[in-house]
Amino acid sequence: MLDLIAQADRPPVVGTQYYDAGKVMMLFTFMIVFFLLLNIFRAGKNKDLYIRRIAGLNAIDEAIGRATEMGKPVLMVPGLGALNAISMQALNIFGYVTRTAARFANPIRLCCGEPAVFTVAQEIIRDVYQSEGVPERYEPDSVRFLSDRQFAFAASVSGIILREQTAATFFMGEFFAESLIFAETANSVGAIQVASSTEITQTPFFIAACDYVLIGEEFYAASAYLTRQPVLVGSLIGQDWTKLAFMLFIVMGTVMNTMQLRSKATEAVDGFGERTPLTEDRLVLPNETTMGRIFGPAKPNPATMKPREADPEAAAPEGGSQ
Amino acid sequence: MSETVETKSLGEKLLSIPKPVLYLVLILATALPLFFPMALPNEPKDMAVKLNESINALKDGSTVIIQSDWTESTRGESRGQMDILLRMLMRKNIKFAICSAADPQAPEVFRNLVLQLNKERKAKGEREYEKWNDWVELGFYPSGEALGQGIAANIRDAFGGKRDAPPGGQDRPVFESPVLKDIQKVDDLGMYFVVTGTKSIIIAIERFSDRVAMGGMVTGVMGPETSNYFYSGQLKGLSSGLKGVYDMCSLEERDHPGTTMLKREEQYILSLHAAIFLLIIAVVVGNVGVFLTRRSK
Amino acid sequence: MFDLLAQVPPKVNFWSAAPNTSALYGKVFLAFMLGVGFVFLCMNLPTRYRRTLISVLTFVAGLFFVLSFVWPKAEGRAPDTLPNGVVESVAWWLQDATGPVSGMTSTLTAFLLGLGAFSMLRVHIGRLVKQQKDWGFSLVLLISMFVMMIIGYWDWRTVNFTMKETNFNNPDNWIGITYAKDLVFDGILQKMDAAMFSIIAFYIMSAAYRAFRIRSVEATVLLVSALIVMMSLLALGDLMSSKFIGMFTHGDKSHFMANFTLSEIYGFIRAAFQTPSIRAIDFGIGVGALAMGLRLWLSLDKTGGTN
Repeated sequence: MLDLIAQADRPPVVGTQYYDAGKVMMLFTFMIVFFLLLNIFRAGKNKDLYIRRIAGLNAIDEAIGRATEMGKPVLMVPGLGALNAISMQALNIFGYVTRTAARFANPIRLCCGEPAVFTVAQEIIRDVYQSEGVPERYEPDSVRFLSDRQFAFAASVSGIILREQTAATFFMGEFFAESLIFAETANSVGAIQVASSTEITQTPFFIAACDYVLIGEEFYAASAYLTRQPVLVGSLIGQDWTKLAFMLFIVMGTVMNTMQLRSKATEAVDGFGERTPLTEDRLVLPNETTMGRIFGPAKPNPATMKPREADPEAAAPEGGSQ
Repeated sequence: MSETVETKSLGEKLLSIPKPVLYLVLILATALPLFFPMALPNEPKDMAVKLNESINALKDGSTVIIQSDWTESTRGESRGQMDILLRMLMRKNIKFAICSAADPQAPEVFRNLVLQLNKERKAKGEREYEKWNDWVELGFYPSGEALGQGIAANIRDAFGGKRDAPPGGQDRPVFESPVLKDIQKVDDLGMYFVVTGTKSIIIAIERFSDRVAMGGMVTGVMGPETSNYFYSGQLKGLSSGLKGVYDMCSLEERDHPGTTMLKREEQYILSLHAAIFLLIIAVVVGNVGVFLTRRSK
Repeated sequence: MFDLLAQVPPKVNFWSAAPNTSALYGKVFLAFMLGVGFVFLCMNLPTRYRRTLISVLTFVAGLFFVLSFVWPKAEGRAPDTLPNGVVESVAWWLQDATGPVSGMTSTLTAFLLGLGAFSMLRVHIGRLVKQQKDWGFSLVLLISMFVMMIIGYWDWRTVNFTMKETNFNNPDNWIGITYAKDLVFDGILQKMDAAMFSIIAFYIMSAAYRAFRIRSVEATVLLVSALIVMMSLLALGDLMSSKFIGMFTHGDKSHFMANFTLSEIYGFIRAAFQTPSIRAIDFGIGVGALAMGLRLWLSLDKTGGTN
């Protein structure tokens, strides 16, 4: 079990070369990219691709409609995460929400806990109002940066929910311990809540306290479902192909490992991926199976490394990092 | 008003317990056990047993890195995790370097803990853990991704710009310290620990769990997700939530009596029991209320 | 004012140069001119080319991270040696760039934080000046913000510059400002954080009471498994179930009934349902993030007003 600790006793190796980053894993990544791009290309030609119904997304219009009837604001929170794919996806969905709200002249509040997300959100929301032809309805203060500290942010959002009595709330993105604080506070003012977190640990809290929840990748499917843009629909189908490939690998791996781990080993494979004929009588070890070797990249063997030449120009820097 | 109360059926009454009453019961149920300590029977979980074994298997005097990503908000769980980890490392004379990647306040919090443990050691007549010679601070890194990537690529570069001072001395680069002088790459570390309430541990696992033995100490909420990586072998051991702390303390106390805060953890675990028990009751009461109301209608 | 560049490791590579050399000033000047040139270009290009420019820039910026992931990593790089071949030269270049690139990200974030703080100040100062509803809260916020900033800066300056020789790790050496910082950061801010976090306990309680209802077959299955998991977390519950099952097994662990202790059932739920489903959701989220990342990198997504 503790083989890695034992390896730490080896003296540091100087002059060794490449760390095998796992060629198969790299190929796998390229395969996913190929699936995605191919399907985006296909979707551009064939407009009639099917996406199953997602209840949480149908509820968006209902929630905004109710907020309009009550004359109360719609609250959107893109989570606490940095500006990454997740917050961009959340802002994409909020672009749609804002578009609908703008048509009904419904006030919105978009609260950010990350300055970079805030800056992008401001641009997107302003853009939405402009493209709807109602730039005058855009209030600069409707998109706010509150705090980048988790619980200060939680307290501010709860304060806004309670003071402004928001009628519809959308929590989408990366949420952590603050998820239940938001959801329960919004519930206490009777808001319709649609939520989605890419954090598996927080999804149960949202399910317990919100009206509609998008689970896992439904979050990424949302913009394709709402806008039906060919690029997004194609990418969604590419994701499905990828998952089929995953399933295939899981089944193959299970069958192959089950068979191989019960067979007798003829050669031993060491941590550097080198094989030696085996004299002892034993079963194949987990790291010696086909799957184990494909997905467990070998470490470089110092014995077979070509040493590097010295740099004639290098002068040892005083107090340097090396 | 009193008329409305009288017309309520039992089911309706069960469904309309005011929130403040629920909250008060919770406060009482979790606070009372703190005044009446009692040891509960406990079977340490496999994950904690493996973590304990991994720490004990470390060579005396070797170096580990602790990524400390917790602050006062998850103090209830994370402080206990960090406490037992530091106690075990100090007992084995293992040198440690501490960095943080989740919250700028994290360095302040672990510094206070080391300070307190040193005070305790001094009072017991044991050797104090000296900054620079026994432990160094590697500071705060705003991006966990970048830190993970940097450590995997070249640990000397990742922490190269950091300086720390020997007691009473001038700042010097941390890699000149006895703690890190022999560390050329991440593989040279005895172990890499992450004490966290966030998924920063998952980023670290993704980046270099194939190159150094990793131990995780996470909050109860993060437990189920992180346990995936224990079962896949990427984590050598895992302590999850208060139960994890209690397990770790019990295991350490079994081998080295009187060295941990087991008594404090016993009280905490009792409070946790009270809270969980109350949750079960709340769920049952709510459902019985619905059932009775439906039947009466 | 302070020797802020003192912490930069004096390493010389593509991204840096030795202090006080013309190479360093040349690189600083070049970087500055590139930045100014880019802003100038953005302001003067027609809108349709602006989009192309941003797409190209996004691609180049993203390419760095893609390459750092897919390019073979240089292993065991030692100081004062030359790389072996082109592949390794690129690997070293990428490795050297990791620090400066994360530095750029941090710098950008710092400026954006300024924008965020500006937005916050505008909202709250506006409310205060116009004496709108709840202006008192805005006043508290502004005072707290400035007190925190002043004390934080003063303490940082004292510890790192004006009284650098004093060991503030030892509380015996603390002075007024150290105590003030300890009060506002450790005594107030962190305790308030902890208090907000503990509120979750109350919300979990009320959510459990209010929302966890048997509405359907699925909800019933969920409820029963949740109860089993919670009971198994209780040492007493576990002990009682072991005692009860022990009446049938008489200590024989291979007895069929030994599978029905709470911890065994929880172990089964975890291994057969919880862990696999978390993994499956993780796969879906991972692939979704990859697809989203790819679309952003290649500027295939149309956001905001154009969707």
